[in-house]
Amino acid sequence: MEPVTPTTESYLTFDLGDEIFATNVNNVLEILEIPKITKVPRCPPFMRGVINLRGSVLPVIDARSKFGLGETNDTVNSCIMVLEISMQEQDIKIGAVVDAVQEVIKITPADILAAPSIGSKYRGEFIQGMVKCDEQFIMLLDLDKIFSADDTSILQQVAEA
Amino acid sequence: MDHLQHTFIAEADELLADLEHILLKCDMDLNNKESVEAIFRVMHTLKGSAGMFGFIHIGELTHHLETIFDSIRETHALLSKEIIDLTLQSVDHLKNIIHDRELGRSTNAVRHHGLMSAIATILVEPVAGGDKKAGGKSDIISTYYIIFNLSAGIFKSGNNPLYLIDDVTALGQAVVIPDLSGIPPLSDLAPDCCYTNFELILATTSSPDKIKEVFLFAEDQCGITIEKLSQTDLLSDIRFKSSVLEHALKMSQIGLKRLKSWLKNETNKSDAIARPSNKRESQRSSIRVSSDKLDGLMNLISELVTAQARLTLLARQNNIPEFSNLSENMEKITKQLRDTAFNICLVPLQTLETRFQRLLRDLSRELKKEIDFITDGIETELDKSMIERISDPLLHILRNSVDHGIEASEERVKNGKKKNGTIILKAFHSGTGVYIQIKDDGRGIDTEKIKTQALSKGLITGDTILSEPQILGLVFTPGFSTAEKVTDVSGRGVGMDVVKRNIEAIQGEVKLESRPGEGTTITIRLPLTLSIIDGMRVKIGASEYILPLAAIDKCYEIKTEKLQPGLSQKLALDGHLFPVFNLREAFGEHTEKPKHTQVIKIHHDFPACITVDSVIGEYQAVMKPLTSLYGEKDDFSGATILGDGSVALVMDTAKLIKKLSEKVHATFQ
Amino acid sequence: MEKHILVVDDSSSIRDLMTFTLETAGYKVLRGTDGMDALKYFRDTCIDLVITDLHMPKLDGIALIKEIRSKPKYQYVPILVLTTESQSAKKQTAKEAGATGWIIKPFEREKLLTAVQKVIR
Repeated sequence: MEPVTPTTESYLTFDLGDEIFATNVNNVLEILEIPKITKVPRCPPFMRGVINLRGSVLPVIDARSKFGLGETNDTVNSCIMVLEISMQEQDIKIGAVVDAVQEVIKITPADILAAPSIGSKYRGEFIQGMVKCDEQFIMLLDLDKIFSADDTSILQQVAEA
Repeated sequence: MDHLQHTFIAEADELLADLEHILLKCDMDLNNKESVEAIFRVMHTLKGSAGMFGFIHIGELTHHLETIFDSIRETHALLSKEIIDLTLQSVDHLKNIIHDRELGRSTNAVRHHGLMSAIATILVEPVAGGDKKAGGKSDIISTYYIIFNLSAGIFKSGNNPLYLIDDVTALGQAVVIPDLSGIPPLSDLAPDCCYTNFELILATTSSPDKIKEVFLFAEDQCGITIEKLSQTDLLSDIRFKSSVLEHALKMSQIGLKRLKSWLKNETNKSDAIARPSNKRESQRSSIRVSSDKLDGLMNLISELVTAQARLTLLARQNNIPEFSNLSENMEKITKQLRDTAFNICLVPLQTLETRFQRLLRDLSRELKKEIDFITDGIETELDKSMIERISDPLLHILRNSVDHGIEASEERVKNGKKKNGTIILKAFHSGTGVYIQIKDDGRGIDTEKIKTQALSKGLITGDTILSEPQILGLVFTPGFSTAEKVTDVSGRGVGMDVVKRNIEAIQGEVKLESRPGEGTTITIRLPLTLSIIDGMRVKIGASEYILPLAAIDKCYEIKTEKLQPGLSQKLALDGHLFPVFNLREAFGEHTEKPKHTQVIKIHHDFPACITVDSVIGEYQAVMKPLTSLYGEKDDFSGATILGDGSVALVMDTAKLIKKLSEKVHATFQ
Repeated sequence: MEKHILVVDDSSSIRDLMTFTLETAGYKVLRGTDGMDALKYFRDTCIDLVITDLHMPKLDGIALIKEIRSKPKYQYVPILVLTTESQSAKKQTAKEAGATGWIIKPFEREKLLTAVQKVIR
């Protein structure tokens, strides 16, 4: 958990479908082009498989299907964000396929708007907040929470239904 | 000074571990002079260095213990169980106060005081039996090897060789090994001729002349050779004895050479224990290396093997003769290096033996049960990391066996069993795994009681129909039982779920078999190694997988059209019907089917086959763990990186087949 | 089952001594005064052991041994010969003739019984 300080924090923005999301750069180790992914049989569809990350085996998930945003095919812009997540008190490395990685933005705590608890498309507990940038809202994701949860769809149940 | 103290602590730890081992040996053979000598020397060394490094309390305790063992040594007195008990307690205490030099903890101070006064009592009393022994017969047991070759006509002189053998064995403790290799086929067999020769290993106080006297009448008709093997009683050395007995089963001659080679192994080992003062010299041939360094080495070798795979691939693609030769050569060296390094990391299960014996000894005393603890095959080697992690589960199982398995002596006698319970710890290699078995001849597990227990815990419902193995499997279920509850259920559910979890964490499996009244056997299967395995690269659809080479029995090629749809079927191969599991189905592979399919027969509890699209070739697979995200994917023991940098999954064939056959059964039901 | 021992010696004192010693040890003793006399037993009598002197009138020990060994029914019966320390060469002759072992005279009770137990149980 990040300590709450008034200093600015860096966030990496990325696309999933039409939306832009962002995660704290502290979570992101590196960004890779999509290499050959070895699929692991009999896994849920969001588990894309495993890749070789400089000699160690990295599991890769599909962020869209993991977050319940539907599936698409990879494009030239698709890439893997290598994330470090704390899951059940363990730091694990995981790769997430996203549609495109945009940029690193600086956000001061004052910029962060509370995510609307009602009427939002997304489940509140997974969203740290929103920032407005170039007339578009960017959702700040709390990855640790998302990956620790059993049901990892970030959409509200209502929205899904 | 701090650094020096660390050296002392490390040395003392080692000495105390040796000491414990020797003491336990003494406990079984109070007459063991060499052990007394060894204990004395360890005490002496400890006392000396403790003084130098400022461990005053260790110094005074070991000083008094040294005095006791010195006097036993001098007077040839017998060791008493009391002294061994006290010394063992002292060892435990010493282990503690190494880290509490000033006796800062009050428990240590109290204990120290208690032990010191207990030792003082023994010091005041002359050591028991000392004088009596000095004047008595000088009964030193020596071990002889006797070859008794009989002339075919011995019966004609009215001699009965069996009488002679009886007489020899009456001289002491003996193992008689008949050599039946000279017996001709029945058609050539003359009933009044003797074709059998004998070898005897005799541990006796009698002189060689005395032994010879037995053969007096038969001397001229027989070849009799008597060789002194040792000044000690080798037959009380379980390891030596079991080597002999094991060989005896082969019904052929052991021979002096072989015996001496076993002996050499023995003396080397006991020398290492018995002469701590010589340790410096002998250590030159073996050095201590920290586990971290070994782990580092294994990691580097893993990387080397992976890099080698890439190199091999590159050489193949470029087809330059010099390059290919170089790459092949490198591959050989890499393989050797890998095997050597892997070997360095192997540790025999024996290293845990002292802990097992200590546990058994203490626990059986505490619970007043008499138990013979037999180990078999504990020289079986395992990866050191596995040894570390298997130790607790094994201790746990042993504890359960003593506590819940073996009955009290009276109960055993009442049920017509022999008074002493037996616990056997057996280890052996088989196929891709190392097996460790713990077998007791106790009361076994009452399945009815387990069912009742599981019902009351809500683990099953009244109408659940379970097979016997399934019922036994319930003891591994988390929450099956707690210590208080289990004792009266005669079960062994105490934390068995934890045992199972720990074993599964190192890719192992655990199985429990039990017969009420006859005993319980727990079998643990562990993979040979966690680091690098020899594998076979196979392809299913677009994905490559690695099969452990050791798991593969045979490969067959069949036309794919011969396969019926579905997960499993029976196929006739080599004239037998085998269950065949279609991995394309199992893995949900929907790509276009190849013309031919490879059917691979796997070594398993039952013969079974799996299908793959094609076999690519052999491959050294550096095992990489699949992250915890794939925790339940236990049909894969890990993954490995191929020469082209992609990842291939390594199958755990045993678990895969087990899982698939369970799935098939479930569908049928 | 009771073991039958045939004692063959021309000296009655030795016969008596042996008979006493063996009978007190639980054996059934048959007696022969010389080789010829002893042969009368080798028809149907159950004999488990023969102890014979070597120097005897009529038929001496060596000849007796040869006789016994030639009878199929008795060819495997253990035979102990009585010898003295000085005639060790005789021991060899006796063994070659088919003796099982020997007892050296003079003997004590224990020695006799040990020798007997070496060949029959």
